[in-house]
Amino acid sequence: MTSLQAARVATGEPGPAARPRRRPGVGLRRAAVRAVVPVLVAAAWCGVTYGGLVRAIYLPSPTAMWDALVNMRQALPGALASSVSMTLTGYCLGLALGVGMGLAFASSRLVRDLFGGVLDFIRPAPVFALIPLFLLWFGIGRGPQVALIALGTSVMLSVTTLDAVRNVNPTHVRAAATLGASKLDIYRTVVLPSIFPHLLGAVRFSAVAAWGLDVAAELIGAQNGLGYLMMVREQYIDTAGILVVVFLYGVLAGALDRLLVLIERPLTRWTTRGHDPDATEAALGGG
Amino acid sequence: MDRLQLREVGVNLGGQTILDGIDLTVEPHELVAIIGPSGCGKTTLLGVVAGFIHPERGVVSVDGRAVSGPGPDRAMVFQDDAVFGWMRVRDNVGYGLKIRGVPRREREERTGRVLDLVGLTASADLWPRQLSGGMRKRVDMARALAVEPPVLLMDEPYGALDMMTKQRLQAEFEGIFERSRMTVLFVTHDLEEAVYLADRVLVLAPRPGRVAGMLAVPLPRPRPPQLKLTPEFQQLRRRLGEMLEAAEAGLVGEVLR
Repeated sequence: MTSLQAARVATGEPGPAARPRRRPGVGLRRAAVRAVVPVLVAAAWCGVTYGGLVRAIYLPSPTAMWDALVNMRQALPGALASSVSMTLTGYCLGLALGVGMGLAFASSRLVRDLFGGVLDFIRPAPVFALIPLFLLWFGIGRGPQVALIALGTSVMLSVTTLDAVRNVNPTHVRAAATLGASKLDIYRTVVLPSIFPHLLGAVRFSAVAAWGLDVAAELIGAQNGLGYLMMVREQYIDTAGILVVVFLYGVLAGALDRLLVLIERPLTRWTTRGHDPDATEAALGGG
Repeated sequence: MDRLQLREVGVNLGGQTILDGIDLTVEPHELVAIIGPSGCGKTTLLGVVAGFIHPERGVVSVDGRAVSGPGPDRAMVFQDDAVFGWMRVRDNVGYGLKIRGVPRREREERTGRVLDLVGLTASADLWPRQLSGGMRKRVDMARALAVEPPVLLMDEPYGALDMMTKQRLQAEFEGIFERSRMTVLFVTHDLEEAVYLADRVLVLAPRPGRVAGMLAVPLPRPRPPQLKLTPEFQQLRRRLGEMLEAAEAGLVGEVLR
């Protein structure tokens, strides 16, 4: 042991922080607390629908929803396949396009200066506003729907990447430069890893947006799919049927999100994100 | 030959003169501290030597070659935390070697040696987020030392640390410097740190930043921390304080020679 190390041991400089261990039973209690509101909502739902307090046209009962699901069993598989394939196709195209644009932004200031202004301009514009335009340009069908989803998600991704590149820590870049890193080295070893967590965040929220874009596209101009099915049910004033489709969209979006989280977690082990989730709660006295 | 030479260096930023007529010659294996009131351009001066800032006037040269951009012959330790969060401690320290294509075996050997030198061997496989501020500073330090730079630039590296950690890192650095062949420029605003570490202290005056004076520190090395308590040390520190006050008041040159 060197004298330096001995000195450090003697003065007791804090080493790596130990994670606080949670008391057993606390997790169980929190799970119970979390179940309270959903259970109450379900109970209220049953109460007002079976008790006849609300007309079924506004809020159908759980049994009515089950019946609606059974009624739609012919149409559902085709609609599901259509919506899922369209959303995923659009989303994957958007991912490739958006990440590609983002990486191009990251690589060169010239590219950022050329396109950054345009992106800053269209960023706040709602993509949904483009739907009528797309219908005019490309007509009704799968093509324009996929294009809309791809465009919407790619704008989100490239905007986020652009922001992330602008926020790369300049000290990191300078440190790499003083150690002999070339421009390409800095891109590869500093810029890309720095923007990576932000990019993954954008990958997740653009997935959510992809479902929203799919619904919007189908509501306006589609011949099949879940959104189209919802339109049809609306014409029959079938509230239960509409709710079944809404529920399915929720399940689909949730499933895709969980999948993305599973993929991203091992890639961001180094970040501080998610390593100290209880800090805020502890500070605010949440038991 | 002089290791590092600045001749008549002047920098303008945003229409203002930040540095004017800076002359400085640093010998091989000399440690020159740069001190001055805030706004005197200390950090800018270091940026010029590092190659981040191109001076409008004058020349900076290392071993007779003019500086034209950043490079590993002038590694730098920054005031801000510069540890790469996405690399484990070991990979942070080996970064400069990997970039320069040093073969794996040699890289590991040299990284291991530097980790040992700064006392990070036990933390080599941790992520930076698992380290305290003082430990992260050691990583920054080790990463710069690993490329064995002839010139090391230190920009208030211990400015953000608590007193105890700061004193410990100063003592460690003094030992590392003494056993190395490096030439060091060390920017600080801490009088005690300047006198403790430096062979000479350059005092800058503000607006525009220019040389106000130079204090020689003839204290022998190695310098144990207790040196700070001796009358000789205290006298030098007092003298530096006077020089700094005079520089702040705008008295340049005449009083201080």
